[in-house]
Amino acid sequence: MRKWLVCLAIFLTLTLMAATVRVLLWDDALTQALREGLPEFEKKTGIKVELELVPSATLLQKTLISVTAERSDYDLIAVDEPNIPLVAPLLLSFAQWPETKFYTRPSMADIMPLALEAGQWKGEFKGLPVNANVYIWLTRKDIIEKYKDEFKKEYGYEMRVPKTLQELLDMAKFLSKKGIYGWAPFTKPTEGATCEAIWMFESFGTKVLQVTDKGYNVVLDKQKAIEAINFYKELLKYAPPGALDYGHAERVAAFSRGEVFSMFNWPALVPDIENPEKSLVAGNVVYTEPPAGPVKTAAVRGCWIVAIPLAAKEKTAAAEFAYWWMSVETGRKLIPKGLTPARESLLRDPVYSKERPWFLGIYQSMQYAIERPRFERYPEVSQVIRNNWLDAVSGRVSPEVAVDRMVEEINAVLKKYGY
Amino acid sequence: MFVLPALIVVGVILAYPVIYALVISFTDRELLYLGKTNFIGLKHYREMLLDRNFWHSLRLQFGVITIAIPIELIIGLFVAILFNRDFPFSKILRSLLMLPVFVLPVLSGLTWRLMLQPSYGVLASFFNFISLGPTAWLADTRYAYVAILLQDIWRMWPFMFMIIYAGLSSMPSEYVEAARIDGANFFQRFWYVLLPYLKPVIATAFLLRMIDALRIFSEVYVMTYGGPSNATMLLSLYIHKQAFEFGRLSYAASVAVFLLIVALFISYFVVKRGLRGEVE
Repeated sequence: MRKWLVCLAIFLTLTLMAATVRVLLWDDALTQALREGLPEFEKKTGIKVELELVPSATLLQKTLISVTAERSDYDLIAVDEPNIPLVAPLLLSFAQWPETKFYTRPSMADIMPLALEAGQWKGEFKGLPVNANVYIWLTRKDIIEKYKDEFKKEYGYEMRVPKTLQELLDMAKFLSKKGIYGWAPFTKPTEGATCEAIWMFESFGTKVLQVTDKGYNVVLDKQKAIEAINFYKELLKYAPPGALDYGHAERVAAFSRGEVFSMFNWPALVPDIENPEKSLVAGNVVYTEPPAGPVKTAAVRGCWIVAIPLAAKEKTAAAEFAYWWMSVETGRKLIPKGLTPARESLLRDPVYSKERPWFLGIYQSMQYAIERPRFERYPEVSQVIRNNWLDAVSGRVSPEVAVDRMVEEINAVLKKYGY
Repeated sequence: MFVLPALIVVGVILAYPVIYALVISFTDRELLYLGKTNFIGLKHYREMLLDRNFWHSLRLQFGVITIAIPIELIIGLFVAILFNRDFPFSKILRSLLMLPVFVLPVLSGLTWRLMLQPSYGVLASFFNFISLGPTAWLADTRYAYVAILLQDIWRMWPFMFMIIYAGLSSMPSEYVEAARIDGANFFQRFWYVLLPYLKPVIATAFLLRMIDALRIFSEVYVMTYGGPSNATMLLSLYIHKQAFEFGRLSYAASVAVFLLIVALFISYFVVKRGLRGEVE
């Protein structure tokens, strides 16, 4: 009896002594895949993981309620890159992450420079970029195969994955006669619409907001912005009916039904398109970077970093978990379960690119990655951009009026906060 | 001592959040909390009164009260009169009519969003059938607010029906019979007998619905997110956006306090006027 009591006491002591790391992440196929690897991590390190996944749209809200300068309910949190400037004062600099016992700090050389850039704010890395999230371009290769000769007769060049926005427009016009929609936009009044605006503005050679040593400047070039809006309006003529109310659900559904030729998507939404039980176009999609605008190719980036709050209690355990997540071994084990890696070596690995052709699309797109405006008050700026963008592309106001208002309202936001 | 537990419960559950909101509305407390909060007096209230988006949202919120609720009231009243007699299957029909009230607002919003979806929505197909063409109703500033009101009317008119029907059921039949013997026609009986009798009931129903309408949020959020172009940005969505998207907790609190004061004022007015007949 005494022996049993001693064993029980030892067991309880060890259990109580074992660190528990509380992790707050967004919810998608990637983070769900992590769950499957947790038993192995817990067995090797003795660290218990409490993983909480919340929809990405509410993650910032949950983070700011749970983490302050003095107290943190989580030891490791995920931050979407446009929110890094806002949350940065609460985060431990990556350079100050503690030494770990089981997993080593990953080599940054294996992360693409533009993906790595997502994790920094004012020259300091605030966390570890854990995915290579960027606009990738989806094009139906079966449609190209079917119509390439006919298209060439009419337009004088081969139908292919559109390399430029002008080619996309040509193909969209051509395919509209065949009952196929050339393209599907994102027009719901959410962050996705802001991304569309930024993508088009950058493709036409203008940024919205620029960070300088002296502060922030609105640098939107009126003429280029108007051209971008007008081009988008032209493309909308070849989008599915009701395209002015299109979010991810509608876009993925239309593409999966085989109604759409070419469009962008975020990598996390691709697996369903390649699932034959959910999609009529599985196996018929090519993944590339987005078509170039008149000035450049632009792919909107939305990388997530994981960061340790300054007030976290289990900083070492949090670092162990993040390093485990980023390790090549974990990547290899969890990619088949749905993990999208941030490491270039894994994205370009021929073993995975055969089964998951979008990995190469991610790699290609990341070469052209652009960021949304980096600003502590980004959500307000984003709201101004998308409201005016949607007003213009839907024809509620002229592009000229929308661009003027956009500049005026962003300047008002800057003024309100004393910038 | 006897009422102390009740006072504590009311204090903690009801008064504390209101007092907390009132207190932080005078500070610069943000959702991002860096450990310091400053007193800024009435700055947020001034900003609120100067913000045209605030007034726009307030108008939209009152639109729900002044447009949707009267329509719900009229439908509820006439259906209640219709059902205030026995006819075959009246009990089953009465129960079925109540169904929309029990639908969760967020589900109702999602259902309406799907029904109005331009490609495969049932209502969109109908509009297409009558040659109105495919229209993104929820992306059109002219129709999105109408869609929100229609959704609210569809979901909540049975609530009005339920309360008014209960009032009618308790009405002594002698009143109507006496008027009928005196030669009053249907409209006279409605205007001079039914309506005065139902006045306190209608006031109560209106008050309850108004309180509900001031809190309308989830159905609008899932239908339009406040868009397009702020066309459905009701005050409740405006508060949510300021607090949880823009992180302006104390500014949102000042708008919420303003809304609370307005709601109290209207409630006082409705109670005083509407229920006076009952009190007298």
